[in-house]
Amino acid sequence: MNGKSMHWVNRLAALGLVVGLVAGLAAVGSAQSVGGQAYSTYVNTPLGSSAQSPLAVLPAVSGTDGAEADAEGDAMNVAGALSSDFLNSITSGEIGAAEAGAQSTSSAASVNILNGLITADEVVANVMSSVGQSGAFSAADGSTFTNLAIAGVGSLSGDSPVTPNMNISLPGVGYVVLNEQIPSGDGVSSSGLTVNMIHVYLQNLVGGILNPLTGQIIGGTLQTTGEIIVGSATSRVAS
Amino acid sequence: MMREHRSLIVWPSVIAAGLLAAACTDQPKVSMAPNRPNFWVTPPPAECVTGKWTGGGRIDPTGNRAASNYDNVDEPAGGQPAAPDPTPYMTGKVTFGFNVFLGQDANGNCIVKKGEIEVNGHALKIAWHVSIHDGVDAFDGRPVFANEFSDGHPGGVCVVVGVPDNYMTAREKGKGATEPSELTQFEVCDNDRGGRQNTRSDAMRWRSEHHGDTGMTYLKGGNVVEHGS
Repeated sequence: MNGKSMHWVNRLAALGLVVGLVAGLAAVGSAQSVGGQAYSTYVNTPLGSSAQSPLAVLPAVSGTDGAEADAEGDAMNVAGALSSDFLNSITSGEIGAAEAGAQSTSSAASVNILNGLITADEVVANVMSSVGQSGAFSAADGSTFTNLAIAGVGSLSGDSPVTPNMNISLPGVGYVVLNEQIPSGDGVSSSGLTVNMIHVYLQNLVGGILNPLTGQIIGGTLQTTGEIIVGSATSRVAS
Repeated sequence: MMREHRSLIVWPSVIAAGLLAAACTDQPKVSMAPNRPNFWVTPPPAECVTGKWTGGGRIDPTGNRAASNYDNVDEPAGGQPAAPDPTPYMTGKVTFGFNVFLGQDANGNCIVKKGEIEVNGHALKIAWHVSIHDGVDAFDGRPVFANEFSDGHPGGVCVVVGVPDNYMTAREKGKGATEPSELTQFEVCDNDRGGRQNTRSDAMRWRSEHHGDTGMTYLKGGNVVEHGS
């Protein structure tokens, strides 16, 4: 290789270094953010209440850093509303030079809601969000029910997929949304997803008039008077 | 002269990087712990790295190597032993989350400078937790050594936390816990670096002194990310 060739090789090497450094600094310098939280149960009903528990919230992450938070509980019991055991919540997130992400998971075993109205051997909520050169997206892969049963409706044997946001009426009680998914972000530079595996909405009819001939209530509006959530996980990213 | 000057600027950094890489392949002086389990053999020495790893999700190990979610490609990477080691296979749902930062101790050994690892074995109803602060396992006061290496996937890389002979001590909780703590090892592989992160090609393995080995298993959901040094 003659001197002229070496000259161009060195120039190319130097250019490559500069381009690499600029690209790296640009990626690191962008205002990326990640967030996440997970909890196994939440009860807010006339029968009793319990805060989001056990709750794991992702600490602030900045620079090229990462973090993890977890919480666990042996058992949860709100008489008449919810009982469960082996409760675990985990969330983690990271910001790297090329990508940022967050992932959360929560679980509860031996789930019994409203004195056996809804039961499951286990519920797992699992979400992840990621943003990088290919855009931003979130997914709920890994979320599942094990042996879910709803009195008067039916049951699922083993691990069975449930269509997102499946709404099932619970006469005299309200309704339940299974695999409730609440997305956020623009899908380009930001994305987020909350999954509530079991979300019971308790409802009462307010303002109706009793028809003395039929004994039925006419009119009125349904008002939500309480809610129960089992298996909630949230992740979000933005760049 | 100018050309030579530029060469002097560029090439010393390349040589320095080479020397650093060579230095980092030295064998670490891992201490021989008195309570080393006799069922785990010592894999090759750790490599020197300064990586940051974070992730979490769920695996469903079955103990069946023919199952589509068994990562036969990555399991032997880095000299890791074939599962189950120890026996039996740990099966059922396993969820986890972690964040570990790697570094070097005064002797150049690869250690976990700080980290949190949570693993939940749902069939066993055991929740394991490892906390590492300032290079020391919070439960036994010993350093936690690590190893990072390329795996069987193009561009893939794995990290093993708790290499022999120390392994690492995890606290056990939950109805299925049989002792307050035990020796464990955690391994994850990031096989979709730089690409879309839902390829389901990332994998995780958890080895427990008293409760078995999941084997290397592809994630059902979640993500494993090696995010730089």
